[in-house]
Amino acid sequence: MAMTAVARETVFALRRQIAKIEGTLPERLAAPAGASPDDRDIADVTVVRRGLAVAAPDAFLRTGIEPLDDALGGGLPKAALSEIHGVETRDAGAVAGFALSLAGLILTRQPGLPVLWVGTSEIFREAGFPYAGGLRSLFGIAPEQLLFSETPRLLDALWIAEEAARMTALAAVILEIRGSPRPLDLTATRRLHARAQDAGRPVLLLRQAGEAEPTAAPVRLIVSAAPSASRATIAGPLAGSIGRPAFTVNIGKSRTALPGQFTLEWNPDEHVFEERRTQEERATNPVAVVSASRRRPHPAPASGAVLAFPAVAAPASGDQPPRHERPAHRRPRRAG
Amino acid sequence: MNAQRIAALDERAEALRLKRGMGIADARAMHPTIDIVEADPEADRRLLEGLADWCDRYTPLVAIDGADGLFLDVTGCTHLFGGERAMQDEILSRFLEQGFDVRAGLASTPGAAWAAAHFHGDRIVAGGEEETLLAPLPLSALRIEPETRASLESVGLRTAGAVMTAPRAPLARRFGAGLLLRLDQALGRLDEAVSPRLPVAPLSVERHLAEPVVLTDDIERLVSRLATALKGDLERRGEGARALALLLFRVDGAVSRIAVGTSRPLREPSLIRRLFHERLAALEQDIDAGYGFDLVRLSVLSAAAFDMQQADLTGEANDDDADIALFADRVRARLGEAAVLRPVAVESHLPERAVAIVPFSEAPQRRAPLKRPERAVPPVTIYPPERPIRLFRSPEPIEVPATEMPEGPPMNFRWRRALYRVARAEGPERIAAEWWRRLPGEEEAPTRDYFRIEDSDGRRYWLYRQGLYGASDMPPRWFMHGVFA
Repeated sequence: MAMTAVARETVFALRRQIAKIEGTLPERLAAPAGASPDDRDIADVTVVRRGLAVAAPDAFLRTGIEPLDDALGGGLPKAALSEIHGVETRDAGAVAGFALSLAGLILTRQPGLPVLWVGTSEIFREAGFPYAGGLRSLFGIAPEQLLFSETPRLLDALWIAEEAARMTALAAVILEIRGSPRPLDLTATRRLHARAQDAGRPVLLLRQAGEAEPTAAPVRLIVSAAPSASRATIAGPLAGSIGRPAFTVNIGKSRTALPGQFTLEWNPDEHVFEERRTQEERATNPVAVVSASRRRPHPAPASGAVLAFPAVAAPASGDQPPRHERPAHRRPRRAG
Repeated sequence: MNAQRIAALDERAEALRLKRGMGIADARAMHPTIDIVEADPEADRRLLEGLADWCDRYTPLVAIDGADGLFLDVTGCTHLFGGERAMQDEILSRFLEQGFDVRAGLASTPGAAWAAAHFHGDRIVAGGEEETLLAPLPLSALRIEPETRASLESVGLRTAGAVMTAPRAPLARRFGAGLLLRLDQALGRLDEAVSPRLPVAPLSVERHLAEPVVLTDDIERLVSRLATALKGDLERRGEGARALALLLFRVDGAVSRIAVGTSRPLREPSLIRRLFHERLAALEQDIDAGYGFDLVRLSVLSAAAFDMQQADLTGEANDDDADIALFADRVRARLGEAAVLRPVAVESHLPERAVAIVPFSEAPQRRAPLKRPERAVPPVTIYPPERPIRLFRSPEPIEVPATEMPEGPPMNFRWRRALYRVARAEGPERIAAEWWRRLPGEEEAPTRDYFRIEDSDGRRYWLYRQGLYGASDMPPRWFMHGVFA
């Protein structure tokens, strides 16, 4: 089944052409083996690793986490609808926090632009109304930069989000809904996506307790809270304290990435994400500074168990999400 | 006193010689076949207000007089309808077409016009003829109190003319200043202001249509034309519209009034049209075009100084704030005032008071875009206390079975019927009620001790305990107030 090198190169070039015309996320393309050496140099840097050959350099919002950006093919698409899912409503804090971190990242490039948060009354009642008092120090979003929109009906919320997605005067539009309502179908998300593409601004669709459904969003991330690290002090981590916000991010859907899992920590001082390496932390502090309380469970459970999987072990297995979080089409299919 | 009485009669009942104030039982005894409809003053009032709305087409100064009258200040309006006579004829005939029995009077003073309408029915009193009009009329033409009228009649003064010729000083002494005031107002010696029921728009443009319009698209096109006409006026005044009203006069007399507000002064016709587009879309069910609208009027209810923006060389004035204001206006026009909200920081340490959520139009305007602080400058000295990113509208009670220490964080808690195990906790942060806001006699609210909690899955919450252990017989209660990132 040998394909000639020339034919493969043609396919490669055509795909790149298609991606350029569509202006969509370029697929993760394998460089042709028999490509000419000079062509290969470019391909190595731009196509194979990031898939950025056809996209403008600022088409992606880089999270700053190398493996996550690589897995997403360069970062989160900036001019697109992106879905951020929470498995349960109680994850609303983490999901909102992650979305706001992304907004914070955008605002480091375009300071001063407002962020619009559209939600239904239901989700604001169930998960709490965004609290401007906590956002400035954490994400650098001042109260003057925030706009909220609350509607009892989902259709009205969709209309507002659609109108807002056309505007270039907003840094980001966050649309938050609960569950998997019928009006938010493929057509509705495609409209949102198209508006976001035209305006070049991201629309973040937060779905609390939603099922993974077919939508037009090129990327779906499943976010849940991760236990935070302890606060860092001069004398080392402060045992029992609650440090920076941490998120567990699973790639639920992406045209370029395999499913993967990442633990991110938001640095509110620098406004950047940092990847958490639990092993490293344990390595520097193998023992808690203060011994664990006798009657209370230790905050970092079963530190001994981690040693069975040293960092040198195959990293891919550690990055794989649990079985139930994998997208349906990657699950093994039962025949017959 | 409890007898039912006749409040109003139609023509046929009048022909049967029934009278107002007659008992229903008497009337039935005389004419057993009469129809009786219960009086509904509320509905009468609504009808009168509807008619007043309709009369807006003649003049913006319409006032309601008593239970059955309207004052129209037509100063400066008559030439638009071809003179006083033609205008009064048109008003009378259009009311007649709608099925109303109307009497009208036109005079230089409200008092004389009132008397002409009530005692002549269709008369125009030229300036200076008020005295000849009033002289033969009975005293009630002077709009005076019934008691005054009765006492005047008891001394033999039965017509307005008799009062006019009587010496003024004894009249004032005996019957009060009210009588002379009314007399002077009717004769034009004193000014009487008719207070209009609606504020008068500083600017308005209207269009009479030969062919009534029905379709929303046509109305929008008319709005855009009217707005274009309005733009010139606004430019001359150096102003922009802050509130606009669209009045649609239906052929059969119903008037729809559609108002929109803007966050910043506006004069661009296309933007005004878009605002009304959203408003009309939202009101689609409520506006019944019926046989169509034959008069469309666009008024500026309030205007404010318009700051000119200089366009850049590409010809586009790039003003993000204006875009956002326009977006907010359109959402408000469609979904109501509370659809776009903005947080405003309030000086308070109670978390739920520290941020007020106000409608966009009431929030202070945004200042110049915030500059990112320079890296070199160290941040402000103290770190603000950590606050959650989501706050529940009202704190939700949680069940806390046990705490390690009496004043310490809980070990586990039950919220919305699910059990949470506390892995780590920080706190307490004590927030007391604001005593300076307490009303006298009100009980002091217990203090709250806030804890940051991380549960076994890594979710972070903000809980508080209200009150202290041992402070009262009741154990303190716990509440969930917010969620951290």
